[in-house]
Parts: sequence; structure tokens; C-alpha cells
Amino acid sequence: MPPATTTPQPVLTAHGISKRYGSRVAVETLDLELAEGELYGLLGPNGAGKTTSIHMLSTLVRPDRGTIRVAGYDVLSQPVQVRAQIGLVFQDSALDRTLSAWENLLFCGQLYNMESAHIKQNIRSCLQLFKLWERRHEPVANLSGGMRRALDIARGVLHRPRVLFLDEPTTGLDVLNRRAIWNFLEQLRQTGLTLLLSTHYLEEARNCNRVAFMREGRIIGSGEPGALIHALGDHVLEIDTPTPAEHARRLGSTLGTPIRLDNRLLFAVRSDQADLGALQRNLREEVHSLQLRRPDLNDVYTWINCP
Amino acid sequence: MIPWRAIRAIISRDLTRMLRQRGRLLSSMIRPMIWLLIIGTGFGTVLEQFGRGSYQQFMVPGILCMVLLFGSVLASLSLVYDKESGVMRMLVIAPFPHYWIILTRILGAAVVGLCHALLLIVILAAIGYLGIPHSIPLLIIGLITTALLSAALGALIAVYSRTLENFAVVMNLFIFPTFFLSGALYPVDHLPPLLQWITRGNPFSYGVDLLKHAINPGLPPALAPDFSIGLDLTLLILWTLVALTVSCLRFSRPVALERLAARLATRR
Repeated sequence: MPPATTTPQPVLTAHGISKRYGSRVAVETLDLELAEGELYGLLGPNGAGKTTSIHMLSTLVRPDRGTIRVAGYDVLSQPVQVRAQIGLVFQDSALDRTLSAWENLLFCGQLYNMESAHIKQNIRSCLQLFKLWERRHEPVANLSGGMRRALDIARGVLHRPRVLFLDEPTTGLDVLNRRAIWNFLEQLRQTGLTLLLSTHYLEEARNCNRVAFMREGRIIGSGEPGALIHALGDHVLEIDTPTPAEHARRLGSTLGTPIRLDNRLLFAVRSDQADLGALQRNLREEVHSLQLRRPDLNDVYTWINCP
Repeated sequence: MIPWRAIRAIISRDLTRMLRQRGRLLSSMIRPMIWLLIIGTGFGTVLEQFGRGSYQQFMVPGILCMVLLFGSVLASLSLVYDKESGVMRMLVIAPFPHYWIILTRILGAAVVGLCHALLLIVILAAIGYLGIPHSIPLLIIGLITTALLSAALGALIAVYSRTLENFAVVMNLFIFPTFFLSGALYPVDHLPPLLQWITRGNPFSYGVDLLKHAINPGLPPALAPDFSIGLDLTLLILWTLVALTVSCLRFSRPVALERLAARLATRR
């Protein structure tokens, strides 16, 4: 008999969850399954249904249809038990600006019914991880935007949840702070925590194990970022031309059908598909610009979005 | 299961905020002192047939209730501002049923109101307007029930308000009428029938009356308490239970939470 393969139990499963506000569809039959320790990205533009999805998974919004289980508990019938197992970092701060970092985390730990000694121990390790230990007694209002965001994430993981939801964790931050936040998320993932985040900065989501693209409440594509990018092609050829229709027709026979965005044509190409050097020489006089680059998740989204 | 640690944390946060806003705490003592020392003295001279200083003695329970009303209602109303603040985000995602957000807010607001009342008691005793009360247990019960009632009424307004852009509206439409039509400034029996009817329907009147029983039931008959202690307590408890039940139910409705979640989700 072959040895039984052990597949890790999913820590979160959602089947067919839907939510409407009046006649507007916010989320339509969404299915999700997250394995323990996974970093999962919900991607898409504003209004795609990412926040509503996170709110349904975290007990704040009741789905019209579908079932959700988190860490073994049913979201609809056991919301309190679910909330004990999850952390949620909202887009905007969940901190009291008049209190210090230490006081905020202490308050948060008490809300989770943690023992005083346990809270203090966790505050110490969280603030050290997020490099805020030295500034623990300063009022939150004195901290920079990036530090406040880091503190907010520390608040979300203080009670050691099994799943952490992050709604646009890096929106509004500069590049350096965004990088720092991703660094922290990476460290949290090392601890075995399952992370589900939403973002519209698609390029950031390349660190995710899996991503799902959302549009108008539906998942329109999902997979591993590397595989999705690889499946698209080796390069993206981007041409800015005054005659996009003509160039699409001329180049289409060798490079395939392009995506047209106003005057720009995007071709997903394989290295062996065409002599790109020759192409560059031929088109130099006819087009405004011609760029050959590696594809990223933005390109994957563009192709999924405009097939 | 009662989330004791969370209740303690929320109340101590309210107290911390109150102590950090000492200016506001002290200024909340000025309003009752103006009523007692200026208006009380003015009307007192007109009403000297009941004895010198009697009217001011009559006013003491009323102004104690006034600080409870202002302190607790305003503290409860901060729930409306909390809807937009970070702390509400921490509360909605915390592991206890959402009605506890309202219950703890009511408890915290009542404690804040009681602190205001205790400070006023100290001031009144120091300047000689309050001696040893007739019944200390009844005073304690009266202060606690009136604080809880005020906090629950404040929560009721808060759960029905989407925003409180104009604080003056609540002050003018709710707090002032509640205070003026409560028997705090004039005995209920002497009011015209319509106002008497409204005053009897005002739950706050029974808090004022209970404190009259506790502090100085022996004033001349015209200034004596209007209702029985039993009726005062029954109606105070009943109104408080109704207000907090309606607030909790309204706050916990899925549609209310969805609206709240949508507001908390947006970046400001």
C-alpha cells in the first residue's frame, strides 16, 4: 500500500460566498481555501470587492449566501470564536492616537482576555520585531505613518492569531516604508502565521504564495505569481504608436494578438518567437517608443482583464 | 461569558481620558455652580417664604443629577465619534459579542458621570451647601441608577445617529429639555398640567426625585420630593433596561454592523 500523503488542513475555507448591497453586487460566489502558513493576495482595483470579502471572512459582514470556516469555526454561527483566532488590520489605523504604543497594545491585549504577564511578553516581542521598542512610551500621534502602520500590524498579531487579514496594508506609505512593511510581513510568515492581504499595488504581491485577481466581485484569475507571469511569456513588448490598428495587424501574425490600450500595444512574447533586434530596427522610424521588458503581475492582470 | 478584562480595559481607558482632560473635568463643574450660586441665589430671594437658603437646598439634588446627565450622556455620545475612530476598529474585531461594545460604553460613561458627581459633592461639601445626607445608601443608589440611566439614554441617541455634526442639536433638543423638565429646578406639582405630564414621562425626573429623598426629604412640603422611592427606583431601572436593550439590539443588527464596517474600512 502506498504511504498516505498528508495534505495540510486548510485554515480557512470559503464556499460560494456572495454579498449584494441593494442591486449592487459586491461579491459573487467567491471560493477560497488557505493553507496554514500561506501568504495569499487578493488583487484588484478599488471597488472590486476585496474589502467586502475580507469583512465577510472576518465576521463583520454577513454573506447573503455561502459558508465560511476559519480555524475550525463557522463564521456565521461562531463569530466570537472566529474573532479570537484572527487578526484584522484595517486600511486605516485602529489605534488610539492619544495613547502610547505600549498603552494601545496593552488595551488590545486586554480586549482579547489575555493575562497581564502574557500581554507584556507579547508586546515586547512584537515591538522588537517591528523596531518600535525604543519608542513604546511615545503617544501614537508622534510616530511616523510607517511606524503607525507597523504598530497597527503589531496590534493585529499581539494575540497570536492563526489568520491575519490585511486590507491594503501599504496604501498611503512611501516606497521605503512599504518595503519595511513587506519585510515585517515576511517575518510574520516565517512564524507560521497565515496571511490574507488585499492590495492594488500588484507588483508587491509577487511575494505571495498565491494570488487571486478580482473584478466586480468575482475572481477572474488565480494562481502562483511566478507561474502566472511565466505562463504569460518571457517578455512584454510595449509599442507606443500613432497607428495602433495597422501595427497590430502587421505584427499580429508573428507575435500574436496584442492588448491595445489607447495608442499602446502590448505583446506577450517568447524569446524564440521573433527576432526582437530586427523588429526594433524596422519599427524605429514608425513608432513613438518601443520597449521590451520582463512581465510582472500588472501584465498578468492586464491580460486577464482584457482577453 | 462576561468579558471582564475587556470591560475593565474600556472603563479604565475612559477614566484615563477623563483624567488627561482635566480642563474639561473642571469646566464641567462650573455649569452647576453657576446654577446654584447665581440662579439659585436669584430665585432663592424670591422664594424666601420657604425659608432662607431653602431653594438652594432644593436645587442640590438637581444639580448633582445635572452633572450626571451631562457627564454620562456626553461620554456615551462619544460612541458616535468612536464610530470613526481607531478604537472602534479594535472593538468590532475583538472576541466578544458586539452588544458588549454598547454595554461597556454605557458602564464607562456611567463611571465618568459618577466621577463628575463625586467631584461636585466634594466641592458642595467644602463650600457648605451639602452636609451629611439623610440617607447615604440611598444617595449612592440614586447616583448610580441616574448615571446608568443617563449613559443608556446617551447610547440610545448615539446608535440612532449616523453623525453628530452639530453637537448643539443634541444639547438643545435632548439634554436641556431633559434637565429643565425633570423637577430639578422647580417642584413637579406646581407645574401647569401639560408640563407636569411631560415631566412625569421624563425618566430623568425619577433620578432627581430619588436624590431629593436621599439628601433632604425634610424641606417644606412645597419643595419636598414628588414621588415615592419605590416608584423612582422602578422607573429608573425600567427605563435604563429599555434604553440599553434597544441600543444593544439596534447596534448588533447585521445591517448596522455592515454600515459601521463600511465606515471603518474607508481611509479618511
